[in-house]
Amino acid sequence: MTNPATRATPVVRPSTGLIPAAPHGSGGGFWRTRWMQLTGLGLLFVLGLALPYLGTTTFAISLTSTILIAAILASSVNFLVGEGGLASLGHGAIAGAAAYGAGWASKQGWDVGMQVVMALVVTLVVSFVYAILAMRTSGIYFLMVTLAVGMLIFGLASKYSTVTNGDTGISGIERPAFISEYWTYYYFVFGAFVLATALLWLVRQSPFGASLRGIRDSESRMRSLGYNVAGYKVGAFMISGFVAGLAGLLSVWHTHFVSPTSTGVERSVLLIVMVILGGVGTLMGPLIGATIVILVENVVSSHVERWQLILGLIFILVILFARAGVAGSIAKLFRRIRRRRSGDPGGPSGPEDPAEAVLGNHPA
Amino acid sequence: MSMTMSRGGRLAALAGLGVAAALALSACAPPGASTDESAAPTPGGDAATGTLKVGFLSPTSGNFAVAGQEMLDGWNLYWEENGNEVNGVTIETIAEDDAGNPETALTKAHKLVEQDGVDIVVGPLIASTASAVAAYTAPLGIPNLHPVAASNDLTQQNWNDFTVRTGSMGGTQSTYPGGVWAATEGGYSKAVTLCHDYSFGWESCAGFVQGFVENGGEIVQQIWAPNTTTDWGGYAAQVQAALAGGADVVFVALAGGAGGPGFLTAYLDAGGSIEPLLLNCCAADQGTLRAMGDRIIGMKSVSYWAEGRDAEVTREFVDAYIAKTGQVPGAYIAGGYITASLLAQVIEERGLLTGADLIDAITSYTFEDSIFGKVSWDEYNNTIAPVYIREVQKGEDGLLYNVPIAEFEDVDQWLGKGAPADVRSIVPYDQTNQGL
Repeated sequence: MTNPATRATPVVRPSTGLIPAAPHGSGGGFWRTRWMQLTGLGLLFVLGLALPYLGTTTFAISLTSTILIAAILASSVNFLVGEGGLASLGHGAIAGAAAYGAGWASKQGWDVGMQVVMALVVTLVVSFVYAILAMRTSGIYFLMVTLAVGMLIFGLASKYSTVTNGDTGISGIERPAFISEYWTYYYFVFGAFVLATALLWLVRQSPFGASLRGIRDSESRMRSLGYNVAGYKVGAFMISGFVAGLAGLLSVWHTHFVSPTSTGVERSVLLIVMVILGGVGTLMGPLIGATIVILVENVVSSHVERWQLILGLIFILVILFARAGVAGSIAKLFRRIRRRRSGDPGGPSGPEDPAEAVLGNHPA
Repeated sequence: MSMTMSRGGRLAALAGLGVAAALALSACAPPGASTDESAAPTPGGDAATGTLKVGFLSPTSGNFAVAGQEMLDGWNLYWEENGNEVNGVTIETIAEDDAGNPETALTKAHKLVEQDGVDIVVGPLIASTASAVAAYTAPLGIPNLHPVAASNDLTQQNWNDFTVRTGSMGGTQSTYPGGVWAATEGGYSKAVTLCHDYSFGWESCAGFVQGFVENGGEIVQQIWAPNTTTDWGGYAAQVQAALAGGADVVFVALAGGAGGPGFLTAYLDAGGSIEPLLLNCCAADQGTLRAMGDRIIGMKSVSYWAEGRDAEVTREFVDAYIAKTGQVPGAYIAGGYITASLLAQVIEERGLLTGADLIDAITSYTFEDSIFGKVSWDEYNNTIAPVYIREVQKGEDGLLYNVPIAEFEDVDQWLGKGAPADVRSIVPYDQTNQGL
């Protein structure tokens, strides 16, 4: 393992995964890989569209919706970790709070429109609280602040029973009539996943995203250059929180139910697991990670009693042998093949990945 | 930069195309959805083969794994003892682990119904998982039987026609007689309560508090412990301070698991006496008895389950479980067992039933000699059953039993006051609202 990229910790992987950042003066090999990647994404997209027509069962479609919703939530975490270097243990609680917003509106007998409004208001307020508390922190302190606020939300959900029904949760939350069918809802979730992924990708490519990466790599340098570091962090958290809130609303429409478990820290930890399994900072990583976790949790567990062991083993294997996660490792594999084909020896003198040349290596 | 823009544009175009395609596709339903059959499979046992498919949901992993496994063991024990064929009907069980997580429970319920085509769903255990699953199965017309779930709202605010509590009681219902007994026969006048600080604890405390106060007792202090409490030293000290301050009875309502032994160890080690203690079902369940041993002989508790009750059917069940595991069965095992025996009884008398017919058959049935005693059902599908004041005694076999010393018959969930006009608008109990 002489590859310099494997030495970087997964949290600070600079690669953008399946779609690496634009290189300076790269050769034809690069574009060939690019097109392969785009074709791959296109195929995945078509597969997603065709899924209900491939003879899949109701259960499989509904499980796919669950995976896509988890993937949206994981994407929001992935964005913060990948671009901002900010690992959050509070995103489960943001999604849960949004779900409670919709659930509470439904409990009042309000219509679906008000559910959306309440979910949005709660999401923005909660995200802002998170952002304000966390804007001057990074690393382990950021983790602790998000964990603390998450616990607070969990506490409110389970203790403020006149509003939240306590541990019993709020059930019977209806989604809009036009997506009431399991398969129409699948398409709705699929569309939301594509849009959320596109939104986060666009933000990542924007000057705002570049500034975020700058802050991730060296906060003091960006500050001395005159950047409003705290402001950028608040902005990044609000974007990420918005996507998490979207996932919360989709989840409550999917399950018609919300309870304190949705806001619990276990959910948030699983999100981090999803992100690391898939590949930090990659485009399709959250989807891959969510697929693995949800399938183990819901399908493998039907056949294996100690299913958590399987999840743990997968996690350990990924950490040991594919630190860049599944998507990140596939991207790396492609790069290696490309380099071999073009006869470029790589080596420590030249950057082995054009993306790294652009983004540079950065400390944890 | 221009390259970035062009790529951004391409992806945006792709996304737009996707949404457009999705909208276009939405116009024509996939083959499976055309008849709506797959979304709501018509329940109905396979009459030709006479099989009743049962989906059994319980947390056999995670924090509640012990209770979840016991509930499943109780269910399985009945069919092992009596055979899984009743009146020509074969009972086929498909067990699934919900890990105590409502989302997992719901996904598993979808799997059981949509993929395995089960006729009824039994379980799960935790309040949140129970209400999530009940809200899913009811609109499909699939009976959902609850062997252990104790949350009040399952048969109150959120009651529905297809959800029946079969092997337990609401938290408040099962402790109310404890309060009545303490204030009357028990001869106590001032109580301190120690309950878990979440829905189950609030509901369980509310039952005792109402029964005690309505019969002239006074609550001097209510102590709440988070359900994650592992160090009970501080709570034991608070209880002892309250006793020193004039309280003469301590009501303790904790969820099953490590809470009961944890509190008792701390309390007894600090020199506390078992005399003024009155525990709930689960704090004094068999797990606690085994963990504490002879130290707690004579300790009193209140529950719908009494393994030391002198009735033939109870003895048979207890002996069968001892023969199999060497242990006395607790409330979760009993809940699984009574649900299985109830189902068997109903099928024995009425044949293969599913959907609303099965619910009707169960709720109109009076289970005269169940392991709990005489059990019947109210119009909200909750149990009306005996509640026992129990005392820990050592049996001839050297094992510890909760033996009834007083019995309250036909205890219902309305605490003898009758159902309110609108059960949906009942305000849930919490720390401050204990129903007084």
